Amino acid sequence: MKRSTLSLIIVAIILCAAPLLLAAAKVGDPAPTFTATASDGKTYKLGDYRGKYVVLEWHNNGCPYVGKQYDSGNMQKLQKQWTGKGVVWFTILSSAPGKQGFVTASDENAYITKMQAAPTAALLDPSGQIGHLYDAKTSPQMVVINPQGVVIYDGAIDDKPTTDLADVPGATNYVSLALEQSMAGKPVATPATRPYGCSVKYSDSSH
Amino acid sequence: MSVRKSHASLPRAIISVAAALALSSIQARAAGTPIPHGTLELIAEKQWIAAGHPFNVALRFELGKGWHVYWVNPGDSGEPPRVTWDLPDGIKADAIEWPAPRRLGTSTIVDYGYEDGVTLIVPMRAGANLSSQNPVQIAASVKVLVCREMCIPGKAQVSLTLPVKLQSPPASAQNAQFFTEARKAWPRPAPASWKFSIAQTNDSFVLTANLGHKITGAIFFPLAESQVSNAAPQTLVTTGTGFTLTLRKSDQLLKPIARLKGVLVLSGEQAYSIDAPIGKPVATSPPGSK
Repeated sequence: MKRSTLSLIIVAIILCAAPLLLAAAKVGDPAPTFTATASDGKTYKLGDYRGKYVVLEWHNNGCPYVGKQYDSGNMQKLQKQWTGKGVVWFTILSSAPGKQGFVTASDENAYITKMQAAPTAALLDPSGQIGHLYDAKTSPQMVVINPQGVVIYDGAIDDKPTTDLADVPGATNYVSLALEQSMAGKPVATPATRPYGCSVKYSDSSH
Repeated sequence: MSVRKSHASLPRAIISVAAALALSSIQARAAGTPIPHGTLELIAEKQWIAAGHPFNVALRFELGKGWHVYWVNPGDSGEPPRVTWDLPDGIKADAIEWPAPRRLGTSTIVDYGYEDGVTLIVPMRAGANLSSQNPVQIAASVKVLVCREMCIPGKAQVSLTLPVKLQSPPASAQNAQFFTEARKAWPRPAPASWKFSIAQTNDSFVLTANLGHKITGAIFFPLAESQVSNAAPQTLVTTGTGFTLTLRKSDQLLKPIARLKGVLVLSGEQAYSIDAPIGKPVATSPPGSK
């Protein structure tokens, strides 16, 4: 192999590995890339969706804050609305095996059918690798990535940090706002908020 | 409830007095209402309300082992108890007096709260025109999130009926201890002789404290959400007379803030309330270097 080719390969490896070494992604940063198997059995790689908006939705079906969004039909409505406009929507399951909210592929598929959810795919992340890459702290937690692969929103789904279904209709939905504003070529007015919900149950979680 | 003097025999008078005392102690404490993995009670510190004087009630949460509720700033996840008071004319509720919280969680997700239970004292005010004719009912609707491995939202209606009199009330015998314990856990105001200053860099606040003595540890609990990163380690450098504590800014802190308020727990023991102005951003050399 030519020396210059080897150098290029080494640089490429370092650049690919770099996101794993950086502190978790923040708004304005390139969205860290990942590859994951989904509950539909297929493999999805974030990098394949350059040129599209991507929404990441951290999920735990036992969390009452997630229940608020699904029992009201709100999350499903958002998924249908935005995937209908070409947005790629990944539900992400980062609970570790044995922890609350851990699901197998068939568990998740049954849930999706029962709740009539409509994500592009539900990514299985039992090792928490994707969760840690994005420093996901709660379920729900929402990340919006623009077609250039930059994180433009990270935080709460809306501005009503409660478990009350009654708080859904009047809430300002930060995900929809970020997508609408960015698609209109405007800056995202609220790019980061404190995500509210139950803690993501990584392998070291006790609470 | 008054004890009427009568010409009846002494035993009847004794029974009346005993009944009055029993009734007043029952009225000072309502039964525990179920919440997820625990109970909630609304209790009064004294046996009645003196018109025109402040008084204290408390929301007493008792939880099963390992279950917790959250501080006013819950941290990375969770939600503090939310109280909606239903008060008669002449009674006003002030803000909850929060005991110093504990850090709960993991290295990447840090919350602030109370395990196994907490007593939240609420100071109240009674108007001078409050009539002694009728007892008053103090009620609250409380929403609470109780968590351990999972989180369960709960809602409880609690209420308490207290007589109103002109005289100063005695303490409620069975509730006094809960109020004493809760007050011990309150953060104290920092002594006036202590000096605090806060510098900031691009990504951190650096709290410098001159206390006049050494400490063995310091943990800062921010009062407001989204100012200080909850999970980032707080780097402590001690000196003979105090310390510096570096607090990473929150990723959600989008606008500059002028002051930092919170609770400082020193040497693992005593908690202090602090409220200090933040200096303009400078490039500071790392703490400990000259």
